Amino acid sequence: MSERQILFEHVLEPGTGKAIELLKGQILRIEQVEGGQCADFNCFNLHDYKEFMHCGRTRTVHGFHPTKGTFMWSAPPRERAMLYILEDTVGRNDVLFPRCSAYVYEASYGFSVHTNCHDIQAEAQREYGLTPDDVHDSFNLFMCTGVDQDGHAYMTRQTTKPGDHVDLLALMDVLAVPNVCGADVMRTSNFALKPLKLTVFAATEADLARVPNTPVLASQRTPKDFRNPTIKSDRPLRRDPAYRSEFPNTPIRITELAVTLSPEEFAAFKAVKRTDIYGEDDAAALRDLLFSWWEERFLQAHAGAPVIESE
Amino acid sequence: MAENVIKLQLNQQQLELMDRTIARGVAADRAALVRLAIREYAAARKAETSAKPNDLEPKR
Repeated sequence: MSERQILFEHVLEPGTGKAIELLKGQILRIEQVEGGQCADFNCFNLHDYKEFMHCGRTRTVHGFHPTKGTFMWSAPPRERAMLYILEDTVGRNDVLFPRCSAYVYEASYGFSVHTNCHDIQAEAQREYGLTPDDVHDSFNLFMCTGVDQDGHAYMTRQTTKPGDHVDLLALMDVLAVPNVCGADVMRTSNFALKPLKLTVFAATEADLARVPNTPVLASQRTPKDFRNPTIKSDRPLRRDPAYRSEFPNTPIRITELAVTLSPEEFAAFKAVKRTDIYGEDDAAALRDLLFSWWEERFLQAHAGAPVIESE
Repeated sequence: MAENVIKLQLNQQQLELMDRTIARGVAADRAALVRLAIREYAAARKAETSAKPNDLEPKR
């Protein structure tokens, strides 16, 4: 197939969202109709809703503004690439802010009812039996954000135009849930609510060939690996009297390693040891140096992120 | 000048990482790996300091 085939089209009206079954190899385009509109986005593994897109993992791997050429990852312990951002005509998205909620509009603006992304997400995914508690932090498309010098996240206006879009390629079958962000009294969508167009395409061979390989590791666990694979079906929490803890690699055992340093080596160590943190504790400073060196020499990706083939 | 002995406190996971690194041929044993780390880390900081004074943090 050399040209993308359109499978589904839908216009998200302001205040609404839509749960869409997006199968592996299909592309969801989220497109500006008038421009200036933020889209919140979530997704779940279509066959196991407990696996879902995780902003925390995604921002650890790709930074605060993931764009074309990055992935949306599921939460630990699954940690799989769920979607690939195949195209992004703007290149400004956000994974810092959570979805806005009714509480925000009541607490800050005094609204008893107001469009908000949590409730829109909840209503859209209710079509598939999910509850408001199943909404999780959203990937905020077209949302312009940053972090100020005091460490607070902030949002500002966007400059998107009609036709700007993001194409998300499903790497597994997912329930994709985009919504028109409900914020009309914030800068997020330039103080107005506007429609967004959704289009689902079948990916072409050329689209699929653009996806970099990600590592497949034993640590990407699924329910077959869980000590408790059963989803709890009632609300109260009760202690399991048969529970015996099995924390990995415990107990942590300390071994002493005596290292003899030549005068030159000791002088080199003294020149770089972190006395600001460890004071006169040379053992702790040397342990820090050892693993700092290891990171510099052997880590291949930023901050513990997986090595992605094309990066 | 006398030799100095530093007694590192390492847990089994940290030792595993050291041992896997040694198995790659990086150093002969654990102590040698620590000494190599000192030499290379210090050399890297010296190079950084020469290139950009007042910046002792590694580039990450």
